[in-house]
Amino acid sequence: MNASQITRKDLLLLFRDRRTLSVLVALPLAFIAIIGSSTGQLFSQAGAARKIKVGVVDVQHSEQSAKIVDEISTVSALEVSSYDDRPTARTALAEDKIHVLLYIGPSYDARVDALEVFEVLHLQEGRLKNKLDSLDIAVESGSFLANASELVREVVFAKTYQTFADTVVKKDKVLALHIKKATDKSHARSEGQVQELPADSAESSGTADSGAKNFNSIVYQTVVPGYTVMFVFFIVTFMARSFIGERDLGTLHRLQLAPISRPGIMIGKTVPFLIISLVQTSLLFMAGRLLFGMDWGAKPLLLLPVMLCTSMAATSLGLMVAALVRTEAQVSAYGNFLVLTMAGISGCMMPRNWQPELMQQIGLVTPHSWALIAYDQILNRPEPEMAVVIKCCGILLAFACGFFAIGWWRSREMD
Amino acid sequence: MSLLEVVDLRKSYGTHVAVDGLSFSVEAGEVFGLLGPNGAGKSTTMMMLAGLRSADSGSVTIGGYSFDSGRDELKRILGVVPQDLAIYPDLTARENLKFFGRLYGIRGSTLRERIDRILDQIGLTQNADSYGRTFSGGMKRRLNFGVALLHQPKFVILDEPTVGVDPQSRSHLLDCVRGLCSEGVGLIYASHYMEEVEALCHRVAIIDKGKLLTCGTLDQLLSDSRADLHLRVRGKRARISPRLIGLADVEPETEVNGETEVQVVMHRDRRDSSYSINDRLILVLEILKQAGTEVLSMETKEHNLERLFLELTGRRLRD
Repeated sequence: MNASQITRKDLLLLFRDRRTLSVLVALPLAFIAIIGSSTGQLFSQAGAARKIKVGVVDVQHSEQSAKIVDEISTVSALEVSSYDDRPTARTALAEDKIHVLLYIGPSYDARVDALEVFEVLHLQEGRLKNKLDSLDIAVESGSFLANASELVREVVFAKTYQTFADTVVKKDKVLALHIKKATDKSHARSEGQVQELPADSAESSGTADSGAKNFNSIVYQTVVPGYTVMFVFFIVTFMARSFIGERDLGTLHRLQLAPISRPGIMIGKTVPFLIISLVQTSLLFMAGRLLFGMDWGAKPLLLLPVMLCTSMAATSLGLMVAALVRTEAQVSAYGNFLVLTMAGISGCMMPRNWQPELMQQIGLVTPHSWALIAYDQILNRPEPEMAVVIKCCGILLAFACGFFAIGWWRSREMD
Repeated sequence: MSLLEVVDLRKSYGTHVAVDGLSFSVEAGEVFGLLGPNGAGKSTTMMMLAGLRSADSGSVTIGGYSFDSGRDELKRILGVVPQDLAIYPDLTARENLKFFGRLYGIRGSTLRERIDRILDQIGLTQNADSYGRTFSGGMKRRLNFGVALLHQPKFVILDEPTVGVDPQSRSHLLDCVRGLCSEGVGLIYASHYMEEVEALCHRVAIIDKGKLLTCGTLDQLLSDSRADLHLRVRGKRARISPRLIGLADVEPETEVNGETEVQVVMHRDRRDSSYSINDRLILVLEILKQAGTEVLSMETKEHNLERLFLELTGRRLRD
């Protein structure tokens, strides 16, 4: 009963300390927003995913070359813009206004006209062996997206090929007739299928939309739990400071003088931070959903035990650190080092599956990793494995008990 | 049975013996002064009385309860005013009192009435809803004092409660102590301010190196040493000091009008001398004459608690 008085008092003091509250709630929210937005997903819509900017210089200025520009403009991953001359486009490339420069040279039409049918059908043997170079087309990229030029080169060649292949093949009358027949037959079959399966078609279009949506929110499926777990454990330093503050103020002795047991004092001092931690986690997950379109998974109620067990592990660790350190300076040094190191090796700062296997194994010595495994199971799996979630919660509780026991044992030295 | 009974209390830290077999008692309605230089074992004793340190051996009982049996009952009749402030600066005076009152199980109208009474008693009614951090040193001391009284303890430990406060606050706090005493509360009062102890305490104990040096009423302590004899002598200290060992103390030299003077002090109850004061005076005057010094004046000075304290614990600086 008396422990609840300490809890009430500490909650009152915490709510009067706006800086602490802002660090516990506003700071992680800002972190999530910054990390999320730096990956280009903040407030993003389905079509607003990052595009490769292609600057086109069409020196040929022909119907054929215009078709290339039209074709590549249909690729949703590319954002095409035109430039009058190559030097201007190169300046834009140097200034990162475009990522890739596509140059269609003055010999393009002539080279296409010179192509034979067999060269279109056997790309490795004829004049198309060197692909775009054979057609007087060049692709240049800036340092920012060096690898993208390879992709753009392949896409441009494919689209260019589409524009001239039909024309070249028609040079052979017999082959052209065969192709026409085959094409008509195929079209007829396709139309039949469309009529028979309208629902599938609509679904596939919907899947494309949801695919984009999933891509947008998947960043937050990782960033929100990662940084939430990291900041939940920042409660360690605030708890340690609260205990040290109590000792420095002399009020710890007053508490010990009152008719309340040592466990009562420890529980009374721990519970407010457990409450704050749970509120903090809930707010961050709600913000993840409302602001960043995060998905809570198929069984969102499973989040509750993971939140509770994680917060218990964090506050117990806080109690242990409070019992081990002696000064504010030690809290800053050891507390922050411990929290940041644990966050780093556990995969809070970057997804666990980006880590090497060895680091993933090492990370399991931290409660953070188990919390992240549980969150990943709930948030990112279509059907969360209950056994995995229960196991993670069990291990988090074991961490909580271990930390509390050490804190309890060491608390005799606190005064 | 006394309200506080301390029997053969001992406490060591490693090889250092902090408290070495202390025994004393305090009655209800009595103010008991505990004096000792820094490092004498006073704070350790206070901590053990308050239950914040466990003794290696010996016993402490307050109102018949000990910390081994009846810990909670003992805590409910014990109030402690610590030397260092122990209040929450980010709570108001009323909130501080309310929180500590609730810790002692006081609730509702009883708590409200007691808070109002204590605020009046410590003179903080007008500042009841101000934060502790805005208080002056004296106000903080008074609140620190009030917190210890809220649960109406039968026995109060006061560890230098007036350190660093203005004369008005000090006077107010001392009046509060007298008030408690008149209500039958037993108090143990540790202080370095001898005049406070002389003014308040019925009995005084002086401890050093963990041992009880003396204990009794002020009259008892001072009756054996009512006055010291002071001789003002013109001459060098080095010339006379070695010859007076065991007979008198020679204080440091002073320069008066270009002449070197020393004070020769003859304590009435000098314990390391086998001579009576009369015989010692004759011997001292003879030695001073032989040393070629001139006695300029002779006077007696009344003994007081501070002089007794210094005599018992020495003049060596303590850390």
